[in-house]
Amino acid sequence: MTVTSYTERPNRKTEAVDALSVPWSGPRPKRTGISARMISAVTILAVLAVWTLAARLQLVSPVFLPSPLGVWNKFIVVARDGFVDATLLQHAVASLARVFAALVAALLIGVPVGLAIGISTIGRGIFDPLLEFLRPIPPLAYLPLVIIWFGIGEPSKILVIAIAMLAPVALSTASGVRGVSQERSNAARSLGATRTQVARHVILPSALPSILTGLRIALGAGWSTLVAAELVAATRGLGFMIQSAAQFLVTDVVVMGILVIAAIAFVLEFTIRRIERVLVPWAGRE
Amino acid sequence: MPHLVLDRISIHYDGQPAPAVERVSLDVAKGDFVVLVGRSGCGKTSLLNVAAGLVAPTGGRATTNGKPITAPGSDRAVVFQNDALFPWLTARENVAFALRLRGVQPAERARRADELLALVKLTDAGDKRIWELSGGMRQRVGLARALAAEPEFLLLDEPLGALDALTRERMQTTLLDLWAASDVGVLMVTHGIEEALVLATRIVVLAPGPGRLVRTFEPVFSRRYASGETIRAIKADPSFAAARGELTDAIFEGEGA
Repeated sequence: MTVTSYTERPNRKTEAVDALSVPWSGPRPKRTGISARMISAVTILAVLAVWTLAARLQLVSPVFLPSPLGVWNKFIVVARDGFVDATLLQHAVASLARVFAALVAALLIGVPVGLAIGISTIGRGIFDPLLEFLRPIPPLAYLPLVIIWFGIGEPSKILVIAIAMLAPVALSTASGVRGVSQERSNAARSLGATRTQVARHVILPSALPSILTGLRIALGAGWSTLVAAELVAATRGLGFMIQSAAQFLVTDVVVMGILVIAAIAFVLEFTIRRIERVLVPWAGRE
Repeated sequence: MPHLVLDRISIHYDGQPAPAVERVSLDVAKGDFVVLVGRSGCGKTSLLNVAAGLVAPTGGRATTNGKPITAPGSDRAVVFQNDALFPWLTARENVAFALRLRGVQPAERARRADELLALVKLTDAGDKRIWELSGGMRQRVGLARALAAEPEFLLLDEPLGALDALTRERMQTTLLDLWAASDVGVLMVTHGIEEALVLATRIVVLAPGPGRLVRTFEPVFSRRYASGETIRAIKADPSFAAARGELTDAIFEGEGA
């Protein structure tokens, strides 16, 4: 594969130096031939190739390492017939519903907290230590406490995810608020805005790009605590599916579940970047 | 009659060894165009901020119509050097901002905003986003936005400072036209000596260390523009060159420059 890109190289170079190039400026030092995207594609193909080869040659027992084809077939089967009493779609919807419920909760609490941290000294004094305390604790550590306090129902699962999302939302909001230009706030006040109006009409929209970045990070953080949240007393969900499969050593479902979680995370990230572009087209253009 | 009065204002910022401004008095009446000039550090912008209510003086009294200035207010709209427009709004929505704060109905505020945009010669730019506008257009939007608040006083903090020479000259005529068409009192800070002469009905020269008033001039050129002379003709007049020399001397007085 590397060889193919090598043979492509000379052609690219001749394209770069075309008739319009002026001798004194010289050709731009363009990275010829290989782009990072191509390298990534090759890497993924290589991993798949090694994986296929290892499974085909039975270097590792199929119990531990199913073949890519086996995983794909399992994907089709689970999507159609389901696994542990629910189809793949139902598992995915259950997980997504939890994560989005948690996201709404994290935004409802995190954005006001972030505004308070960014705007007032009192707010920063109160919330900064709490967030700094909460931020580094792994979800598996507070999961037992959440269950003791709130039981094994759905609220506990949502809460576990929401806690993981809270800090990124609040801290991004706070940093966005602190970045608001003083001149803009002053201009608004001299046009007759009260402090509340400045917060609503100037600070909030100014901080919106940061808030959306926080939302994106939070969604990633929440999605990655999914398995922990579905560890206890879940009957549906991608995390639950993976754990059940692991207990019965159904490795192909485990691997398939991991890949589905990764794929959904990728789609979410992509979607939010799109939303960012529509919602805050001015970001980076001022 | 609306009257903005700065009476023996002193400003001493925390942690600074010397005051930024010491006992400066000036007043702006309706229809005045007062321009503050002086070298860097003479406290021009500090004084403007006192008038705006953004900085509290450590000595003296700032009042409008006899009432002390304690906070910013839409009777004294400010235009900053960096336009300070809101990029999440269109040009029209920026202009209508003050009206929105007052709860004016959307249709009515769009109508008012379009009138003001026409006044600053930006008739077709209402739907444009801020980042699509040039520096000069942005300042026009900033001016229209300030006028929408229907202020008694317009406070201009080097509004043309970031513009290129040609745009700047065109903006000077726009400013004069707006001022002549309304009855606002203007207080403006600038670095431009010619700009001060062209625009002002009164020039207040400040000197640094600490900021103090050294002289005032009452140039006639903005009145001459109002009575039909062009800026170009005014600037070519020998009396303009003489006034420029005198003003420059006053600004650099005691510096040996």
